[in-house]
Amino acid sequence: MTLSVENVRTSRKVLAEMEYTPAGIDKGYSGKSLYVNLSEGKIEPKTVTREMKDIFTGGKGFGLWYLWQAVTPKTKWNDPENEIVISAGPIGGITQYPGSGKSLVVTLSPTTNSIMDSNVGGYFGPYLKFSGWDALELQGKSAKDVVLYIDGDTGKVTLEEIELETGASHLVSEILTEAFAESEEDKKHISVVSTGSGADNTLIGLLNFSWYDPRRKAVRMKQAGRGGIGTVFRDKKLKALVVRFSGLTGKNNNPVDFGKIQKAGVKIHKEINNFDDVQCRMRQAGTANLMTTMNDYDLLPVMNFQYGSHPEGKKISTEVFISKFTQNIYDGCWYGCSMSCCKAVDDFELKTGPFKGEKVVVDGPEYENAAALGSNWGIFDPDFIIEANFYCDTYGIDTISTGTMMAFIMECYENGIIDKEITGGLELNFGNQEAAMELLHQMGQGRGFGKIAGLAIRRMKEFFVKEYGADPDFLQDIGMEAKGLEYSEYLSKESLAQQGGFGLANKGPQHDEAWLIFMDMVNNQIPTFEDKAEALHYFPMFRTWFGLQGLCKLPWNDIEPEGNKQLEEANKVPEHVQNYVDIFNGVTGKNIDKEELIRQSERVYNFQRVFNLRMGFGKREHDKVPYRSQGPVTVKEYESRAERYDGQLKELGYDPESMSTEEKVKVMRQHREEMYEKLMDAVYLRRGWTNDGVPKLETLKALGIDFPEVVEVVKNHL
Amino acid sequence: MILVNGKEVEYEEGMTVKRLLEKMNYTFPMIIVRVDGKLVNKEDWDTFKIPRGAKVQALHQIAGG
Amino acid sequence: MKIVGKNESECILCGTCESICSEHYFKEDNREKSRIQVSEIDEDPGVDINVCNQCGDCIDACPVLALSRAKSGIVILNRKKCISCFNCVGACPTDSMFFREDEDNPYKCIACARCTKECPTEAIFMEEAEL
Repeated sequence: MTLSVENVRTSRKVLAEMEYTPAGIDKGYSGKSLYVNLSEGKIEPKTVTREMKDIFTGGKGFGLWYLWQAVTPKTKWNDPENEIVISAGPIGGITQYPGSGKSLVVTLSPTTNSIMDSNVGGYFGPYLKFSGWDALELQGKSAKDVVLYIDGDTGKVTLEEIELETGASHLVSEILTEAFAESEEDKKHISVVSTGSGADNTLIGLLNFSWYDPRRKAVRMKQAGRGGIGTVFRDKKLKALVVRFSGLTGKNNNPVDFGKIQKAGVKIHKEINNFDDVQCRMRQAGTANLMTTMNDYDLLPVMNFQYGSHPEGKKISTEVFISKFTQNIYDGCWYGCSMSCCKAVDDFELKTGPFKGEKVVVDGPEYENAAALGSNWGIFDPDFIIEANFYCDTYGIDTISTGTMMAFIMECYENGIIDKEITGGLELNFGNQEAAMELLHQMGQGRGFGKIAGLAIRRMKEFFVKEYGADPDFLQDIGMEAKGLEYSEYLSKESLAQQGGFGLANKGPQHDEAWLIFMDMVNNQIPTFEDKAEALHYFPMFRTWFGLQGLCKLPWNDIEPEGNKQLEEANKVPEHVQNYVDIFNGVTGKNIDKEELIRQSERVYNFQRVFNLRMGFGKREHDKVPYRSQGPVTVKEYESRAERYDGQLKELGYDPESMSTEEKVKVMRQHREEMYEKLMDAVYLRRGWTNDGVPKLETLKALGIDFPEVVEVVKNHL
Repeated sequence: MILVNGKEVEYEEGMTVKRLLEKMNYTFPMIIVRVDGKLVNKEDWDTFKIPRGAKVQALHQIAGG
Repeated sequence: MKIVGKNESECILCGTCESICSEHYFKEDNREKSRIQVSEIDEDPGVDINVCNQCGDCIDACPVLALSRAKSGIVILNRKKCISCFNCVGACPTDSMFFREDEDNPYKCIACARCTKECPTEAIFMEEAEL
């Protein structure tokens, strides 16, 4: 059977259905959520209670609360009880403010065995809400591959068997968009969530959320990348989710004060229009605008995070990617995003793999992808990066984890821990493009050494120790994962605060909680432990808020209003914080201030910490990080930045001239590890946690989340 | 000597803000420069001479990747 | 294409153009809802006439292709397609795409020429402009 619109349309077989009257949205909420049990073919509505809104706000908050109720401390990622929860948040879906169409996805992760959350663009979340559902819970496991279709226009949810004989996510998105749309004009009313064969074959599967780009006339996708959510999706035998909603007006949230939202929106649209070209150039380069900066500041991960820059870095600079992107057209992953950062490469001719010779649209590469699939592998070829980015997306595997784990494999290969015999002939040296691309295809297709690679770093470390007698300490030092999640693509060695930003993050080392490298290392604005702890309280809480609302972080500080630089707390971008307060109040009719904004986050953030605890994690020992993230592991690494490190040792009272490099590496390490312990002490104190990293009862009480089942979990650890 | 973000940097005769940023390889497009507490606008970086012994803040406005 | 041209030094700030415009398009005499905005300024010649020059920068900013050039060359908004994001307002280099709290959609001059016919001083007039 070939993949065609006709075949998709005729092969549809409904297994279960539910008709409903879409709940009208009131002040950002529909008040209903959709529960689907894939084992039983059950589809039913639930009521979103006032308490849920007050305590968890929405988005990730709702996801965590539903997941909490669904699982027990014994539940594993591939148990039927595990859920994938998707929710947009109360602000989600407004069109007047940039970055307001995010979906938040929560599940138990196959790589961390604990709570994972991911923030993703595309139209699904807002369309889901406007179809009447504040959240979608997917539980159970289907016997056969299924597609869930939510028709928000007619009020019908169906669980269907559809013949989709492909493991390529871009084709699944395309074909379902075409099959469910009635015309070209109708395509923008469809959004598809899907993944690819890599999600069946690895533990780092992702979810692609689609939207239709009417200018490129192409289905585009954004990724809920981190922590293997796509792997859970396929374990449930979900092939795709499709939503249809054609009634978008810009007022679907039924906001209380449209003018307030409009005013904030127009103000920032103008800022972007006036200043972006001389600030971050998000509209030209997307987040790839960071490529040159990171290389210049010794922060771009090179060869498994050993180094922070490379002379060949200029081959993958910001300018190079600008020249690759199709320019000067609207590139928002939700309506109205004037930041317009989701760049794309059109008509890219693939050189390898199952689609070799075909011309495709490639999303990005974003900064993370360019660093992960390029410099971190010692590869400085933009076309290679674009191709690897395309295949990661269509196989449905996380670019960040793929990048960081491949870098780890390469360093293992260079150190003789694994060899050609083990890799099936692949010479996985840094810089070997052909071998790296082949391994990526193997991961996507579940072949050869790709099956080992797809286990991700934590399991690979165990495997290499057990099977090949590798030194576990060395692997612990160079394997850039914490809590089971691969690091995202920034060098944190010279910024203690960022070591904490990664290490103390709830889900694992992703930079979405805190990005403090410049404030700390370059600006020297947070010199004391107390300063760093304050930053590691404020920024993670502030940034958590985006995930409660259905918002994107980028318009917060990748554009700066006029006059911001005069302000004491310029780093917080106070005017934009006020915009967020205004749009929240404008939508919901509540009257929060910037302090209550932080408290909304604190409730959810602490709840997530307790949830980790409930699953057997979430304590000090779980906030440990690999030494590669803290300092030079090897003599070679030390010597590559000898002047810097010698200077630091002198400041500590050592005489580097009289020491061997081995000695210097050792004392440097002792010092830095000690600093990290002190940082943990300071942060836990600031967050109202015990010295073991457990939220104190009084903290939970002050936040109003001291309900019995939460206290029950915490009590055992106090 | 001058102090740049609290760290000692060698002073050069006639050093402008622009020259200092080049020397530091501070290429990021969003930097706020204060010399002895006073804001120096970007238009003046080319001409503003940093006095010997000055305390310079070159604050990179980025708190997010 | 024919656009609304202006000679600000001739303007006497009588507001006739604004009344005609708002009455025609919004059925009320409300200068704030006019698609041409006349105001007093400190700089010479003391008057600013803000009216769209049909440059089309807004067209590229619209996520739903609701803005386009009519056959005449004039930039028009299809309100049925508009989803009220106001990106076009941000993208307008002359601030001539207007918006109001009580209006769902932005609005702009479409060179209908009604105001130019009534201007008592020929401060505004129809003129030929290149696309």
